This record gives sequence, C-alpha cells and structure tokens, in this order.
Amino acid sequence: MKDSEFDVLLSRVQKPARYTDGEWNALHKDRALARARVALVYPDVYEVGMSHLGLHILYHILNSHPDYLAERAYAPWSDMEEQMRLHGIPLASLESRTPLRDFDLIGITLPYELTYTNILNALDLANVPVRAIDRTDDDPLVIGGGPGAVNPEPIAQFFDGVFIGEAEDAIIEIAEAATARGRTQALEALAAISGMYVPSLYKPTYGEGPRGTLTPLDGAPARIERRIVDNLDAAPFPTRQIVPFVESVHSRITLEIMRGCARGCRFCQAGAVYRPRRQRKLETLLRQAEQAVAATGHDEISLLAFTSVDHSEIENLTSELVDRFGCRGIGVALPSLRADAFSVSLANTIQRVRKTGLTFAPEAGTERLRRVIRKQLKEDDLFAAADAAFASGWTRIKLYFMIGLPTETDEDVKAIGDLIHRLLRFGRGALGSNKGRLQIAVSVANFVPKPYTPFQWTAQDAREELKRKHRILQDALRSRAIKLSWSDPDASALEAAICRGDRRIGRVIETAWQYGAKFDSWSEQFSFDRWEKAFRENELAIDDYANANLEYDDPLVWDHISCGVGRAALRAEAERAFDGESD
Amino acid sequence: MRWISHLDLKRTLERAIRRAEIPIQLTQGHNPHPKLSFGPPLPVGATGDAELMAMHLAEPVDPEEIKERLNRQLPPGLEIVEIWSLPPHRRKETFGDIDIAEYYIAIGGLAAPPDLDERVRKLLSSEEVIVQRGGERPERTVDLRPFILGVEVAKTEAKEVILRARLCTGSHGGARPQEIVQLLGLTDDDAVVRYHRSGVYAEVEVASKKPGMWRRWSRSRSGRGRS
Repeated sequence: MKDSEFDVLLSRVQKPARYTDGEWNALHKDRALARARVALVYPDVYEVGMSHLGLHILYHILNSHPDYLAERAYAPWSDMEEQMRLHGIPLASLESRTPLRDFDLIGITLPYELTYTNILNALDLANVPVRAIDRTDDDPLVIGGGPGAVNPEPIAQFFDGVFIGEAEDAIIEIAEAATARGRTQALEALAAISGMYVPSLYKPTYGEGPRGTLTPLDGAPARIERRIVDNLDAAPFPTRQIVPFVESVHSRITLEIMRGCARGCRFCQAGAVYRPRRQRKLETLLRQAEQAVAATGHDEISLLAFTSVDHSEIENLTSELVDRFGCRGIGVALPSLRADAFSVSLANTIQRVRKTGLTFAPEAGTERLRRVIRKQLKEDDLFAAADAAFASGWTRIKLYFMIGLPTETDEDVKAIGDLIHRLLRFGRGALGSNKGRLQIAVSVANFVPKPYTPFQWTAQDAREELKRKHRILQDALRSRAIKLSWSDPDASALEAAICRGDRRIGRVIETAWQYGAKFDSWSEQFSFDRWEKAFRENELAIDDYANANLEYDDPLVWDHISCGVGRAALRAEAERAFDGESD
Repeated sequence: MRWISHLDLKRTLERAIRRAEIPIQLTQGHNPHPKLSFGPPLPVGATGDAELMAMHLAEPVDPEEIKERLNRQLPPGLEIVEIWSLPPHRRKETFGDIDIAEYYIAIGGLAAPPDLDERVRKLLSSEEVIVQRGGERPERTVDLRPFILGVEVAKTEAKEVILRARLCTGSHGGARPQEIVQLLGLTDDDAVVRYHRSGVYAEVEVASKKPGMWRRWSRSRSGRGRS
C-alpha cells in the first residue's frame, strides 16, 4: 500500500500515531535475512499494548537473534477497522506494514478473558482463518501465551499452540519450529517444545459447566508442565525499550525486579502460577536502570513486581535510584505497596523526586474475611501506614477491595464502609487544617474464582447479589471526600465463565464476536446483552460456568495443564480457608 | 512523525533532550520536567520546517553542540534546522507574540476548478468572511477577513492545487488553513489535503492588508523543523 494511500487513512482516524512507524528503539531488520519472521500481537489498542512488558521482552529476544525477526501489531480502533474493511486493507505490522499473513508465526498475548474477542477480530482482519482447523500450509502458525494461557481451553480451537509459562527460553524454540516446511512438520516441532500445548492433539469430553476432561491423542503428554525461567537475574531483558508516541498512562521505564510472590493470598492466580519467587540482583537492576535511562529518556523508572516491597534489597534499590537519577528529574514508581509504615517510608524516599500515589489493597473489610482469603493485613498496620502517610504530607490514598469473596456476609461488606469512615475521621484528625484536601479513592472489584487457586471450586456470587452488595457500599460511601469506583458485575461474570471455560465457551466467544463484540474490557464497548444472546444460541448458560460450585474431585477442563501447584495442596488450602485459618 | 499530537511531540522532545544529556533547567513544583516553551502547535497531520521551541539551560552550552547532540537523538522526521542563543532581554518571553503563520496547502486528487483565481480574488476582496466555529454546537460566528493576510495560488497541475496562505494565529485570533480550503470550495471526499507550515512570525508593526503583499517583520528565536 502506497504511503499516500496510507496517509489518507490516517487523516480519517483518531490518534493516527497508533498506526505509524518511527518510534525510538523500534527495530527494522531485513526480512530477507531472517529464517523465521514473527508478528507479536497484543489484542488491544496500541497504548494499552505498549505498556505490556512481556511483548517487549520477546521482541528484544527475537530481534537480538541473527536468524529471527519480530515486528508488532495491535488491535486497530473501530474507526481504523472500519476504514480497513471498507478498503480491503489487512492487519499489518507497525514497523514495515507487512500483512500479518506474510509472517511465519503470529504470536498473540493472552492478557485476560475480556480481550479474547479482539483476538478473533485480529485474526479475521489479518485474513487468517479464525479456527485452527481451517488453516493450511499457506497460513502462518498462530501461537498464544501469557497470563490467560493457564486455562487455554476457551481459545484452544483458535490457536495452533498455546505456550504455558515464561517464554524467555522457549520463544527461540518456537521461532525455530516456524521455519519448518509445512503445517504438519511445524505442529510436530511445536509439540516437542516443553511447555507447549497443541490443542488439536487433545479431545474433550464434557460434563456440566467447567467439568470435563481433555484426553491426549497420539502419544501427546497427559499433562503439559508450565515452563519457568530459573535464573531471573540472568534472563534477557530489554533496556532499549521502545518509546511510544501515544500514551494512555504515563510512559516510563519498567524494570522487572521480581517475579512470583510468596504471600499466598488464596484468591490470587498470578501468585500461584508464577511461583517460586525469584528476584534480580541489586547490581543487575542498577545497571539496567542506567542503560534504560540512556536509551529511552523517560522520566520515571517503575519497579515491577507483585509486591515490590518484598524484594530483599528494596530499600537500597530505591534510595540508589533516587540518588543517581533524582537530580535529573527522573523519578521512581513503586506500583505495589504493602499497607504498613515501611512502605510509606519507601514512598517518602521516592517523593524527593516526584510525588507518587499511595495505593493499598486490604481487599476485605473484616479481619475474619481477610484470614479466609489469607490477606495478611492487620488493621493496625493499615492505620499506621495512613498515619505515616498523612504525617509526610499525603492527602490522598487509594484502597482496593473485593466483594463476593467466599464466606462473605453483608456484615463483611458493611465493614468496608465502616473502615473507610474510620480512616476518614482519622485522616481529618491527622491533617488538621489541611483536612479539606483529604481524599480516599475506593476501588471495588468482584471476586472471580480462578483456576489454580484454592478457591477454584467456589462459585462466584450471582450477578444480582454482586449488584446488591455494590449498592450497600454506594449508600455507605457517599461523601465528597470519597471517590468510589467499582467493576461491572456483568463483565466479572463473563470473566468468570471464560476463565473456567472450555471449547464450548470458545464457540460462545466466536458467536459473540460475530455479533460485533470486541474491546469488551472497555466499558463503553461492552454489551452484556450480546453475550447473553451468544450463550443462548450455543445452548449454554453463563451461570453454569461462573456460578458452579464444584466438588473437590470433579474433573476440571484445565486439569491437563500443570502450573506447579497440585490439586491436593490447593484442596488443603481451601479447607483451611473455610475453617477460618489463615495459615 | 506528523501524525502525533502536540502533547506527544512535546514528550518526544523532552525524552530526546534527556537522552542527549542536555543540561536543561527543570520546572519547580510537584512534577519537575524540562523547561521548554513552544510556538503555536501544528495541527495533527501537518508538517512544518520552521517550528519554534525554546530551551532554558541550566548551564551554558555551545548551541551548535546542542544541535548536533539533539539531532542524534531525534526520531526520523524530526530535526533541528537552526539554533541560536536568546539575548538576555528576550529570555523571559515565551512565544506569546507569534501571530502570523505561513502555509503551503497541497490539495491532491482534485482537478483545479477553472475559476480558482476568481475564487481567491473574491475571498480577498470581501469585506467580511463569516464562518461558524465550535463544531457540533456552533458556538459563535467569526469574521475571518482580518485574519487572512494573503492567499495565492502557487501552482496548479492536473490533479493537484498548491496554495500559499499567510494567516493570523495566536491569542488575538486567527484563521486556520483548513478554513481557507473550505472557503475556496476545494473540499471533496476524494481530495487529500496536506498542510505545510513554512514560517511563523511576530508582527511588530501593523501590516497592510493588500493582497499579494508579503511583509516580513521579524523572525523569532531558535528553530526546529520537521518533515
């Protein structure tokens, strides 16, 4: 497509820089020299995709290898999609505008359930058959990976392979498999890769809802073990991160200081599937920081981890970074804090450069319920953190909660409101004359029973129940000093049905997409009616998946994937939870 | 490069300045960032080769060295074309007094209407040129005539018309190049319009509004351009 024709398209859409080339640190390798060409796709709009670290890591690893090439693509927004369909323009890579069809492999991130319709849409826009079974030798291989891969069944029929786990080592093997001549050889090569699930080699038999079995055919392994990187410190990491032109949130350098989490909160899937906890050394991180600052020019370094304060050298790391870069106006961000005074003192160090937000996640309103979900947060610590925060000059804090948790009663929900009001009173006292500026932001999510957690057998609260509980909080938290936001229970129910779903749910996803569902994680694009229609047409009910209470020995549609934590261990944790034990 | 917004352009330049390790002053307050000021923003999609930016340095550096170091860090499509030091008495100013912009407007995919010269003549000899501004809810009517300092047809070819327009810009009001295209009736679904700004100026004395007379009063500060 000529540049001038492309320019016409760009002049007709919002944020045209989402679709143009030329970002600092984007790489342009010679196609002719690559034995395998990989298109890395994030199934959301450019600004969202650019903040996902995983894709940047794989981009860097592939492009650093002399034999392979990687370029990126993102979901076009509806206005661009309309133009593309009108003029017959296929989805193409950002760097060279090469149609995705002309790559050997398309690697799609599976960030989470509500992005899955975008995956189908991207394949369709690329003129690649949406169902794996319809693809031929002329089509590229389509591989998925990422957080959603731990239960790959809902999207299994759309992928030639789904990689389970951390792909730093495997991505090279995957690219090599894509050099095979013909689909059959390529699929064989893929199946030989440790951590790779090839859905066509498994046959499902289903019970009701998430109950079912995937039986391997032809010598395929009974279980696919997730793959992890043993030595995180030595793992490749891009310091020449691509600097985006268009940003949705403040763009910055991301340093992955730690992977995995040892806290053991029972609702958390990521904590379960990314075990064990591994960290990068202080010297490594400081070196990466220097390189990244020189290579990007960003004014902030974000320290990524599930709980950054659990890094054994977090204090030294934070103060070193502030000392070295603060005078140049380059700040440090700690996205995940614990609710205690230590975290606040860290936040104080950071404040010397740039003011940062303070976010804590109590999740539940009562000590009892926090023990059930194993969220180790004592109220005293929370107030100590608030005290330290107000004394240091913060007037705003943000708190995350979840409703619909297992064993929750209305008392637990009301306790959230009570806690917030006590915090407010405390804050007003602490701030004195400044109390008018006190603001507490409360964000309330809905519990989703995730596979590989002790709560994987627990039903999600009915949608009407969740709505009723949100209303309790809305009534309790009316105040100018409180900013309340909450997740849509309908969207959360869909999330639950998909994360516990199977290939039948996959057909629902396909139907919903055919009816126009996409960008479902964007509230203004999400239409629950459309999804209900898709469920009905496939003779399935969302409740059968989201609200199913499962037995400990039910066969589950994700049993063929192993994520490092066994059923017996999960069951023991579940029983401890329901006995009210936190340990 | 021409498809990024002014805000994104500002951030791109800030980052290039950091990578080039130019000793720039930081703003005070909660969110310190490099002290930069800009001339009037270019609309998204337009190019310009005489755009203006001022940098406030924390220590003196030879301008040519800044230009060289910065150009090495700029993404394709962005380039410093000229740089100079502001004399001391100008250092407090931003570009608030910039009020004239000169554009080349290339309208492609359209045959030049035979009466194009007449249309231009008519526009320039009107006493008033009334337009609505405000988008969906037309907020106000504006008379653009005082802001149109000159329009002429620079070139016509089989499928392209190039206009040159000298328009007022800035806080005392202005006309937009897109409005000139509309006023001359040159909009068309198939037409592709490209805007290129070739200069921005500050008017020191009152200019006469005779069409065809271009008066250049003063050329301002350090420059950067983009293709």
